Amino acid sequence: MISLAGRDILHSWGKFVLTGVGLGLLIGATLTMAGVYRGMVDDARVLLTNSGADIWVVQKDTQGPYAESSSIRDDVYRGLLGMPGVAQAANVTYLTMQVRHGDTDSRTMVVGFEPGQPGEPGYLVAGRRLLRGHYEAIADVKTGFRLGEHIRIRRHDYEVVGLTRRMVSSGGDPMVFIPLKDAQEAQFLKDNDAIIADRARTAANPALNRPGVPGLLDAVTASQTINHSVNAVLVKVGAGDTAETVAQEIRRWKHLQAYTREQMEEILIAKLIATSAKQIGMFLAILTIVSAAIVAFIIYTMTLGKIREIAVLKLIGTRNRTIAGMILQQALGLGLIGFIVGKISATLWAPAFPKYVLLETADAMRALVIVMVVCALASTLAIRAALKVDPATAIGG
Amino acid sequence: MDEGIHIEGLSKRYGEGDTAVDALKEVNMRIAPGEVVGLVGPSGSGKTTLLKCLGAVIEPTRGRMTLGGEVIYDSAQGGWKTPDLRALRRDRIGFIFQAPYLIPFLDVTDNVALLPMLAGRANAPSRTRALELLQALDVAHRAGAQPSELSGGEQQRVSIARALANQPPVILADEPTAPLDSQRALAVMRILNQMASQYQTAIIVVTHDEKIIPTFKRIYHIRDGRTVEEAGEGRDIS
Repeated sequence: MISLAGRDILHSWGKFVLTGVGLGLLIGATLTMAGVYRGMVDDARVLLTNSGADIWVVQKDTQGPYAESSSIRDDVYRGLLGMPGVAQAANVTYLTMQVRHGDTDSRTMVVGFEPGQPGEPGYLVAGRRLLRGHYEAIADVKTGFRLGEHIRIRRHDYEVVGLTRRMVSSGGDPMVFIPLKDAQEAQFLKDNDAIIADRARTAANPALNRPGVPGLLDAVTASQTINHSVNAVLVKVGAGDTAETVAQEIRRWKHLQAYTREQMEEILIAKLIATSAKQIGMFLAILTIVSAAIVAFIIYTMTLGKIREIAVLKLIGTRNRTIAGMILQQALGLGLIGFIVGKISATLWAPAFPKYVLLETADAMRALVIVMVVCALASTLAIRAALKVDPATAIGG
Repeated sequence: MDEGIHIEGLSKRYGEGDTAVDALKEVNMRIAPGEVVGLVGPSGSGKTTLLKCLGAVIEPTRGRMTLGGEVIYDSAQGGWKTPDLRALRRDRIGFIFQAPYLIPFLDVTDNVALLPMLAGRANAPSRTRALELLQALDVAHRAGAQPSELSGGEQQRVSIARALANQPPVILADEPTAPLDSQRALAVMRILNQMASQYQTAIIVVTHDEKIIPTFKRIYHIRDGRTVEEAGEGRDIS
């Protein structure tokens, strides 16, 4: 038996392919939306992996440093180093800011870290690690900076000496790594006018500028210009100890919040990007419904255009299941063309997205199944219309 | 055995009670194998209803129909003899329509071969049978063409080939010459007579086309659901 659906598709392939391409672009958008979500999750995991930490120690009662702001003193790490199970502990700061590059601003996360300690970028794709204590930077390639270029952060210029890749914040902003001391300064450094105004206010305060206490004003002023805060301490657990056990000890004895990798992943994925995930989920649902409506409309219209032929087919003895099969196969064919076009489109345009779009094969396979199911369901309307055609309409009036 | 078509006391009533309409009233017809008869009548006389009953697409109210020696309907014995009217139409009745109604996405050969394929025959012998018929109808040279590439006359010949594809004992032709000019209409009638004779098929041609009425040797006039048989001119068109 010849394939009626196949012949019909070949006969009007132009219309079919154009329709499939239109549907494919919609499926491509759907796959991309799923890829955006996957990219956000992956960014979050990569952020945690790249930090090289087993435990994040942050301000008590906060979910910092990525989901909430956290501020702890920069000498806390010394106490942590003395605790059992702690192999390494290092201060780290995170500051999201606009960084000027040429004529444009790009949003970046500036990370302050101590070389050789957790928080340092795991690998470089070009250049070298930081060797000097100040004014050197390692930038993610997505910032657009190249080796030897200078990044302006607050009032200082930092020379890009290394480039790294896939180092992004939970929001997808590329990272710039600078020495911890510079980062601490950058977080709190004010402009010259503000500093002068602050000093004048301090000097005018009789409690801080007592005539009989020489050196008090200088000490107070000095304390106001030095920042001794960091956002978190990254801890690496020694061999033989579990992160949860060490984290429990830190919570108990240091009165700080300590998160293990699993807990931090929960914060990032289940809390930080939860709203975005719901948003994307809504889009996916709407796009699926729109795709289904489009397939149903197209197949229904195509079937209505063949009502007379269907009546003739039924009159000359074609079984209902053959006619239903023809319409179903066409719907599935349309879905398959749409899926292939969608997958290719999504693969082609994903790298152009500003944020990481992760197109997973499992998602594509799931999408293929959903597209096929949606197309099969969408074809039922057309099949119903075709089966209702009275073969008698092929005869006479 | 009644070969060809034999209809006895066929009636068809639409509706019930006061609104009931008797479209066919005790129709009797007998058409021998190889014979082509005309069924002529004004609009609303019951031509199409008779064709639909014969074509097993609507059920008569009363009567008996025999096609190719086989009783297909007998109201006295419960109606249709087979529950699978689709198979009955496919295997025992050929249809020719006013417009050819070829399947636009199948080429000429497959339009004809589709019927034997639907009947379960393999593709190769179905296509061989189709090519034989196309040869007989002088359209074999267009075997690979799409219906849209054929002239009106060629399309009608292909539709005749399709009607003959399963070697049915009966062909029902519903105004097959209506859209054609005199020359082409007579050509179609010539082909129908040839095919009826060659394949021993009984053919009923429903028409009110004055051009072809003189070609019938026998005509059934139908008016208000009743048929009257009369001899036709039987003009030679060979």
